[in-house]
Amino acid sequence: MCLAIPLHITAIDGEWATVTRGGVARRVSLVLTPEARMGDHVLVHAGFAIAVLDEEEARATLALFAELENAHPRRAGDADTPAPSNDPPGADRPQ
Amino acid sequence: MTMEHPRAAGPARALIGAIRRRASARAGREPLRLMEFCGGHTHAIMRYGLREALAPEIHLLSGPGCPVCVTSDSDIDAAIALASVPGTVVATFGDLVRVPGTRSSLQEARAAGADVRIVYSALDALEIARRSPNRAVVMLGIGFETTAPTVAAALEMARAEKQTNFSVLSLHKRTPPAMRAILNGGARLDGIIGPGHVTAITGWRAWEFLPVEFGIPCAVAGFEPLDLLHAIDQLVAAIVARTPRVVNAYPRGVTAEGNATAEALLVRVFEVGHADWRGLGNVPESGLSPRPKYAVHDARRRFALPATVAGKTAVARGCRCGDVLRGAIDPAECPLFGGACTPGRPVGPCMVSSEGACAAHYRYGGRAG
Repeated sequence: MCLAIPLHITAIDGEWATVTRGGVARRVSLVLTPEARMGDHVLVHAGFAIAVLDEEEARATLALFAELENAHPRRAGDADTPAPSNDPPGADRPQ
Repeated sequence: MTMEHPRAAGPARALIGAIRRRASARAGREPLRLMEFCGGHTHAIMRYGLREALAPEIHLLSGPGCPVCVTSDSDIDAAIALASVPGTVVATFGDLVRVPGTRSSLQEARAAGADVRIVYSALDALEIARRSPNRAVVMLGIGFETTAPTVAAALEMARAEKQTNFSVLSLHKRTPPAMRAILNGGARLDGIIGPGHVTAITGWRAWEFLPVEFGIPCAVAGFEPLDLLHAIDQLVAAIVARTPRVVNAYPRGVTAEGNATAEALLVRVFEVGHADWRGLGNVPESGLSPRPKYAVHDARRRFALPATVAGKTAVARGCRCGDVLRGAIDPAECPLFGGACTPGRPVGPCMVSSEGACAAHYRYGGRAG
């Protein structure tokens, strides 16, 4: 129920935004995130943007994971790893 | 793109190793018992095999964070009764239609002629009301703090538009009181994985009672496998260091104070009261009912709903979903799991909902527990 997907705002018209992912556009309400601006990434849940994602924090998290990757490079034969998914990240269907 | 989250194997392996080493370095051999509150987390944990990868040092327990699962038998019966009222359209989020009430499900009611429609958003239900002025459209308001503001927004719009044929049966629930009820019920937990999207609304301070009152740390997590592993790593670090606190391990989506606009909307539209949870019973301050000025849009006030169950409850059918929702048992410990109860023929809601713990364990192969 609480799944929300990060989407990119490509247009704003009053309380509505056009958000896109992988070339697919949809319209979501900005009633819960009036601070959202063009170019922001928002978490979308049940037709509403519920949070504006913090790009700086997103970069910091990615950097943290990259650091882990460098500290523990992949070795041949490693087995106990969660299988990476073929789905685009965050593509799980919101309900 | 920075807003996309990696699922790289290297960092995952590093984190799994670090978590297990940290946990096994503790005095004592008991596994650390961590509860993931959120059903979305349960789904991700099972899908990516994190539960098995972290065992035996870490025992991950599912919590009550599946809104469909915690909806009580009597509330499902009430929804079915509403669908049976001539002239009504019942609009609901997907999974709820398959959950058995004590006599039937919304899906069965629909097969018998009731107008039950699955919607993606409460705004879709409001649109149905605008286009069908002669029908009474009832939105089944299920969901936690993540979803309740979206339904509140639809209620506020309906009131402003005088769209009086639109109402909501509010089964919304607040999550911190449920977590408190589980701990007051005697659950032995070493740490809590906090629900990321609930907390995007409430802010992480909503979980401060966990360290303050119960001495248990909480790490708020995102939904990618690395987000979860990072949160678990932080949680285990706090447990080992005996410094219980709330860690925000999902800072790109969560702040200390949350979404003030959404919280203010919730306060304008709903008042807090008790709510009936499957597995937890009546939990004070965990429910959200429309305020009196929304009476015309409140399905409980508009329609005569049954107060008691009509037939055999899930518990009476042998379902232990309630125990699963409290973290008292793992799904495989239910005698019905995988035999009498499967996703194709579910006995209880934990096997129905895509984020129910039983469905996740069944689907991703945790059948042996």
